[in-house]
Amino acid sequence: MGTLYVTQTDAFIGKVDERLTVKAEQKTIMDIPLIKIEGIVVLGRATISPAVVNELLERHICLTFLTQNGRYLGRLEPEATKNIFVRKAQWQAVGESEPAIHLVRGFVRGKLKNYRHSLLRTQREHPDTDLNNNITRLENAIAPIEKTSSIDSLRGLEGAGSAAYFGCFQQLIKTPEFKFEARKRRPPTDPVNALLSFGYSLLRHDVQSALNIVGFDPYLGYLHVERYGRPSLALDLMEEFRPLIVDAVVLSLINKRSLTLTDFTTEPLSGAVSLTKEGLHTFLRTYQQKKLSSFKHPVMGNKCTYQESFEIQARLLSKYLMNEIDKYPPLVLK
Amino acid sequence: MNQTEYISIAALNQYAYCPHRCWRMFCAGEFTDNQYTIEGTTLHDRVHTTSDVQRGETWQVRAIWLKSEQYKLIGKSDLIEAEDGQIYPVEYKRGRKGEWDNDELQVCAQALCLEEMTGQPVNTGYIYYAHSHQRQLVEINAELRQSAIATIESVTNLLETGAMPKPVYSKRCQGCSLYSQCLPKATDKVKSYQEVN
Repeated sequence: MGTLYVTQTDAFIGKVDERLTVKAEQKTIMDIPLIKIEGIVVLGRATISPAVVNELLERHICLTFLTQNGRYLGRLEPEATKNIFVRKAQWQAVGESEPAIHLVRGFVRGKLKNYRHSLLRTQREHPDTDLNNNITRLENAIAPIEKTSSIDSLRGLEGAGSAAYFGCFQQLIKTPEFKFEARKRRPPTDPVNALLSFGYSLLRHDVQSALNIVGFDPYLGYLHVERYGRPSLALDLMEEFRPLIVDAVVLSLINKRSLTLTDFTTEPLSGAVSLTKEGLHTFLRTYQQKKLSSFKHPVMGNKCTYQESFEIQARLLSKYLMNEIDKYPPLVLK
Repeated sequence: MNQTEYISIAALNQYAYCPHRCWRMFCAGEFTDNQYTIEGTTLHDRVHTTSDVQRGETWQVRAIWLKSEQYKLIGKSDLIEAEDGQIYPVEYKRGRKGEWDNDELQVCAQALCLEEMTGQPVNTGYIYYAHSHQRQLVEINAELRQSAIATIESVTNLLETGAMPKPVYSKRCQGCSLYSQCLPKATDKVKSYQEVN
């Protein structure tokens, strides 16, 4: 099961014995054993019974609130794990320390390498697309990473690599009705950006939960430090997963025409684009399927799902900070 | 305020099984409640809430707190029996006899507590393996006592410093409930890992 997404406006989330029930308009729309739930994401408004709140906190199940359009509002945070050793190591590495630089290199390298593989794959599967220029620009951003020791310069490489990737993202879209010019956020004003933003919101919930489970403080990061009150470490660890999960899901939905322009609505004045209810369900279903699909973990060598890989990467991160392993290996998949 | 920290007898068993697992459970607090933090609950109070029975020649008392001031140990016994004035601990285990001697160590620690609490020597104990319905005699001999005392020292040190013993992969990792938290093979796997370009 994994994460439960509640999309029905004004749904009521209650508890019967050891089961969670979601009711809307007098009807029970979901009835799931609590034991199967790892996280709950509420989109829009829902009523949550006090018994459920207690149960979620007891069981360390995270409850995240997003707006109807997937903008992050906040979460119900269970007590942090007692593993203060992880948090101590995390705090000790703050700033321009050796481990912080190593980790930022890993986060940036992981993301850019996955971007590159994504472009190479498109090029292989569609010989008519020419992405060589952007692939070269990406490689030029990847090459200096290991020799770069300033975190600000690493942020620059990350920015250059991302620009190269999104500069040709339109060419990864094989459905003429969907156009992509550049990343636009807060609010996204076109369907592709709306999907990306929404997907990254969900991914953030998942990565942040994994960090919590391992014992980290998700608000203290190394690459993202510019703003307090943002889950910086979750944003850091998310980087390598963005292309692997969210971009892959978005492109697959568009290119297989599982989503069409009729699945989107545009707000007047602001031009903010969001998914319709049906579109939302399609997106969530596909995102969930992606998370539960498995692959061979390149470091550990065993099969795991993407959902499990969030926690594996978080554990490797803690092992690096606690000197159990001498490098942090970001998840890079060919 | 009494600031004495007692060691849970269960921690000794875990330490003998795997020091890293012991650290995870008792230092990092992973998947242990505070059932062990029972400071201030005196044994005396507990004994009076526990029923004891006389079965033929054997007197039995279940689930009492055991405590040793000398070794700073605290824990709960499954069963204490006395026959002909000889008192001894019986520890219940769900499975078969394990390959590791950590269960014997736990029985020995219980014996040390009992000796202090009753003032008389305890030279035997038993492990009851539920799977085979058999009791196994544990001789509380000098060798076992020494190894229990050495483990108590190691655990005391572990709890005081919080220094993490590195996980070491061995056969006993199979079936460890903390395997996915510990990932004992990670160190070697990361060493030999070559990231693709």
